[in-house]
Amino acid sequence: MSTAVESPEVPEQVIEAPSAVATKKTRRNQFIALGALAALGAVPIPFGDYGFFIGQYAAVYAMLGLSVTIVTGYAGLISLMPYTFAGLGAVMTGLIMTGWGWPFWLAAPMAALATLPVSLVVGMASVRLKTLYLAIATLTFSTALGETFFRWDLVTGGRIGWTVASPRLGPIDFGTDLNFYLLCLLVVLGLVWMTEGLRTSRLGRAMLAVRDNELEAQALGINVYKTKLAAFVLSGMMAGFGGAFLAVLLGNVSPGGYQSPVAEVTSILLVSLVVIGGIDRAWGAFFGAISLVVQSQVFQGARFFFPFFGMYSAFFLMLFLLFRPGGLVQVSKITTELVKRRPVFGIAVVLVTVALNLGIAYIFIRAS
Amino acid sequence: MTLAINPIEVASFGISAGAVFGLLALGLVLIYRTTGVMNFGHWAIGLVAVVSYAWLTGEGMLPQAALPICLLLAMAAGVAAYRLVFKRIARSNQIIVILVAVGIAQFYSSLAALVLGFRPFTRLPPWLPMATLEVAGMRLRMSDVYTIGVGLAIAVGFFFWFRVSRSGQALRAVAQNREAAVLAGIDDVRYSSLAWAIGSGLAALALLIIMPHSAGQQGGLITTFDLTPLGTLLIPAFGAALVGGLVNLPMALVGGVFFGLTREFLVLAPAPWSELRTSVAAILIVVLLLLRTERFFATRQELEALEA
Repeated sequence: MSTAVESPEVPEQVIEAPSAVATKKTRRNQFIALGALAALGAVPIPFGDYGFFIGQYAAVYAMLGLSVTIVTGYAGLISLMPYTFAGLGAVMTGLIMTGWGWPFWLAAPMAALATLPVSLVVGMASVRLKTLYLAIATLTFSTALGETFFRWDLVTGGRIGWTVASPRLGPIDFGTDLNFYLLCLLVVLGLVWMTEGLRTSRLGRAMLAVRDNELEAQALGINVYKTKLAAFVLSGMMAGFGGAFLAVLLGNVSPGGYQSPVAEVTSILLVSLVVIGGIDRAWGAFFGAISLVVQSQVFQGARFFFPFFGMYSAFFLMLFLLFRPGGLVQVSKITTELVKRRPVFGIAVVLVTVALNLGIAYIFIRAS
Repeated sequence: MTLAINPIEVASFGISAGAVFGLLALGLVLIYRTTGVMNFGHWAIGLVAVVSYAWLTGEGMLPQAALPICLLLAMAAGVAAYRLVFKRIARSNQIIVILVAVGIAQFYSSLAALVLGFRPFTRLPPWLPMATLEVAGMRLRMSDVYTIGVGLAIAVGFFFWFRVSRSGQALRAVAQNREAAVLAGIDDVRYSSLAWAIGSGLAALALLIIMPHSAGQQGGLITTFDLTPLGTLLIPAFGAALVGGLVNLPMALVGGVFFGLTREFLVLAPAPWSELRTSVAAILIVVLLLLRTERFFATRQELEALEA
């Protein structure tokens, strides 16, 4: 059984050749990457506070998306309940910050920890199941939790929910859009770095082995069940941690946002954004979140915002799954290769693609 | 308000709800058995029929006349999903298959929302008679009686069609062993499309039975919230399909009735339990999953062939 989300592996120079020339080249590439990242992070600046708010959205969705990367991309388990875990984290953040009066810096790790019992129980019950059955089980658990946990008024703050204040650190107030944007960006980059690190760690390699061939992994002495469970729990904690930031971003946590059908629909949206970005690399969640936010801004003015947005992203999801299962990460790799081999043609392709996208977006904004 | 609750009346609600779950499950199983795709977008394909029903009757068409057109539209939507997307994916890669099904769900449900627009709710006129029947002091809804009848008729029809007719036998052959069927000269794409058409038609029928008759005499009202009936319809349908191990058609219908009865009799339970319909269904589903019901209904080879 090969259930891998395949993407052609481009050999990584870092590992391959530790010669002086390669190190120099690697360092140059790292500088280029850092520069590109800085430019990307600076995109919201001309749009002012609104831009920062949108940037926060992208960062928080990237955090939630990373949980999908770990569970589906690395371990090959389909979970249709990431947003339920995020809701758990958000509700716990509300309880801890508003109900108990603790600072955000304690609430966020505790929100991640709070998902632990739930993800352990759900994971132990369902992680052994085949892909398809696991998808059904997680969908069911997501709905069932909406009916039980999210109706527990003592924890969720009842129908009104909790109002969540913005965090503070000494003299720095993260209530302003710019500061919170910078915080989110920093945290998400840290998490991407951690998730990318997980990929090459012992546990991460075990996950990839389990995803690619369970029997082979078992023969290598990997405990398949424990590895899957670890992936499920880690992904739950990641979503819970992101949920803490979601709570601050929204300013108010009410349980209605995490019950059926909103929770399932948002979970599906999260999965599709990660697939579009690239499911088996940590950067995929990041790029996916950016593409989601850009799309949502383009369609913002349209009368039928959500339907249009849903159809558009579903269309792209299927297009990517059929032709580029590695997502935007794979596309960018292929494009980089093309530019390296045939610079003129490659750059022309990139420019035409960008122009086409911008043109479509412009036509859409004008028409709506 | 106290209601004298007659267990037979509750059972009639339960069986009619169960027939609806059973129809949905039947479609799921039929599609899974022939093409190896567990269709997470089943309800969304059914929604195509519901919104076209709302639109056609809103234009003044008779509900009974609109019904067949809507069913055909849903069938076309299902066949399109198969021909354009699912046919092109290797079914061995179940992650991709499920993700694509999720994409199909998102696509068709968004399409449905687009057609309905942003009206707070849309009225769906009933197409089954809405009278109540008084038999020996019990009040039965005619729509429930008809629903049960439709369920039975479809079960019997399927039974004979699969046994007797040439196309039914060919479909069974494709479901049991695709390669052997192709070698025997059966066009598997054609019969897979047929399975998708029938399955989607069943989903549409199930939704068109439940949605226009949900609000008593005036028919049914749907809001955009009802466009994702996951907890109320899809999860019991998955449970029903699991009773037959996702591969057995008659047991899927039985499972539907089981889930319907459980749901309706839960209403009679004391307060915290009567609210927990989906959670009880979830517990049942986990039990069914852990029982690995599929091993009772299919051989190991057949199960492996489903995803190879």
